Amino acid sequence: MREIMGHAAGRVYLAVLFLSVIALMAFIVTGGLETAAGEEPFLLFGWMTMSLVVGALFVVVWLIAYLAYFFFFWPYR
Amino acid sequence: MVFEITALTAFGLIIIALAAYGYKVSAKTAEDYMLAGRTIGVVVMFFFVLFAISSSWTFYGFPGMLYLHGPGYVFFIWGSVAGFAGLYMFLGPRLWALAKINRFLSPVEALAERYESKGLRMVLAISILAFIVPYVGIQPLGVGAGFQALTGLPTMWGAGYTVVLLVVLVLLGGMRIVAWVNIFLGVVYVTALLGSLIWIVQATLPGGLSEAAQRLMESEPALLSAPGPYGEFAPVLVAGTFVVGLLAFSWPHVVIGAMTARDKHLFKWFPLLVFVFGGLFFYVIPFVWGSLVAPAVLPPAELAQQAAAAGSTLEIEADRVVQTIITRTLPGWFGVFVLMGVIAAAVSTAAVQLMTSSIIVARDVVQGIFKPDASDRQITAWARWAVIAVVVLSLTVSILDTGLMALYLTDVSIPGFAQWAPALVGGLLWKRGTREAAIVATSVGVVYLALGLLITPGGSRVLLFDLHPVVPTLAVNVVVYIVVSFLTPRPSEEIQTQFFDEVDEFLRSES
Repeated sequence: MREIMGHAAGRVYLAVLFLSVIALMAFIVTGGLETAAGEEPFLLFGWMTMSLVVGALFVVVWLIAYLAYFFFFWPYR
Repeated sequence: MVFEITALTAFGLIIIALAAYGYKVSAKTAEDYMLAGRTIGVVVMFFFVLFAISSSWTFYGFPGMLYLHGPGYVFFIWGSVAGFAGLYMFLGPRLWALAKINRFLSPVEALAERYESKGLRMVLAISILAFIVPYVGIQPLGVGAGFQALTGLPTMWGAGYTVVLLVVLVLLGGMRIVAWVNIFLGVVYVTALLGSLIWIVQATLPGGLSEAAQRLMESEPALLSAPGPYGEFAPVLVAGTFVVGLLAFSWPHVVIGAMTARDKHLFKWFPLLVFVFGGLFFYVIPFVWGSLVAPAVLPPAELAQQAAAAGSTLEIEADRVVQTIITRTLPGWFGVFVLMGVIAAAVSTAAVQLMTSSIIVARDVVQGIFKPDASDRQITAWARWAVIAVVVLSLTVSILDTGLMALYLTDVSIPGFAQWAPALVGGLLWKRGTREAAIVATSVGVVYLALGLLITPGGSRVLLFDLHPVVPTLAVNVVVYIVVSFLTPRPSEEIQTQFFDEVDEFLRSES
């Protein structure tokens, strides 16, 4: 991680990961996973619940950031 | 009955044969036995680590919790995926390089040398062993329950079967074969888990997963979103569950895996498998099982009635709901295959935990404290004896109080593993982190955790502010580590050179 902190691309990478964690936490804490009274639960493609969709999106963000950084910028690549 | 016993015997013999082959080809050195000669490549490493952490919990506890409380608990998985990937992206390369340059055999040894402290070595070794050993005993007992359900034989038969496999595998094979056998075990487990899901959906839900969701929408819509039907997973708890998952980077039996890597390129590729295969595929299987298919096929209200009629509880029956549905719906022979999958999950996890425990006992406690001049052969022998001792100890504790064990895992082990995280992260990444800080912070964290769990007037964990135990204890641990580091003299130039500058140079040059 010291090598990641040591250059701009690494700091951007860490910022993206950190912001994704903050965004996910904010979404959870503000009740984004809950269903409002009188409404039906959110389902994507008829079966994917909000917890699955949001979590999978979180993993995809980390995946894209990792691919971009580790394959093009990581000092030890 | 004859078919079941024959199939399970054949399964066990395959594992024992693999262990015997591993013994034959091993180099008979401590480095080979404990760290597979530092030759594990990315694919083997992935199966090794994924199935080291995917115990029978992914078949029982995880889907059971989703079945009862809706999908909120899955955030433990999302946090864990980030935590495991983070370990290999941020800490793994340095720990691996450091261990390779200095021939360290355990992460505790690496930290003890980094902080120049035998006292810290003892503190870390004892605290890690206290939190990891009970896990080992729980896995065979979990298999025993499944064994009993399938064959009718007493629980201890299944537990004994699993213990024999475990001990033979670890004694003969060491870390190399534990890692390689995890590929075989992982394939069996994934096939059983995914195969049963596909088969059950085809057999009972003609409209597929959409029909499952539709059934829940009509009967129990609260199961389709947080906080779930009992209001358990409120936003704060979901967020806390996610944070606890993030701390997966500090699980010692996962950390030690990084030291077995063949080269630094593993750390470039490994996260790809964690994200794609682990996060977006493997863990989605038990999630779909527990949150959609199981409650659609066997609604919780129906299971509660059956549990009451059988003198059981909904919570207990929910933990084995996947197995119940498979047993009732699919042919008997497939039930045997699924049990093999559960045994595979249990053995793959317990074997790595057993290896980690025995390495810490042999390398850090016996050699590190009592007999520094021990030979390579002696260390390996102690590690093997430690395997026996750890198995006996963990099984005894588990058998004496199984009720306590469930609490131990959720509320003690995970917060316990987290207590060495500040010393680990600081030791690898922060030059200013000092010996005094590591000793004081780890000790304070462990003692605070113990007192917080033991002092509970009126059932309330007042010292922990009724939060998850990891939250206040780790926060205090981190603050103490940072403050004490600034109040004490910085590590010597030699230590900074050995543990930072040389590691940087090695990682830049190594190919």
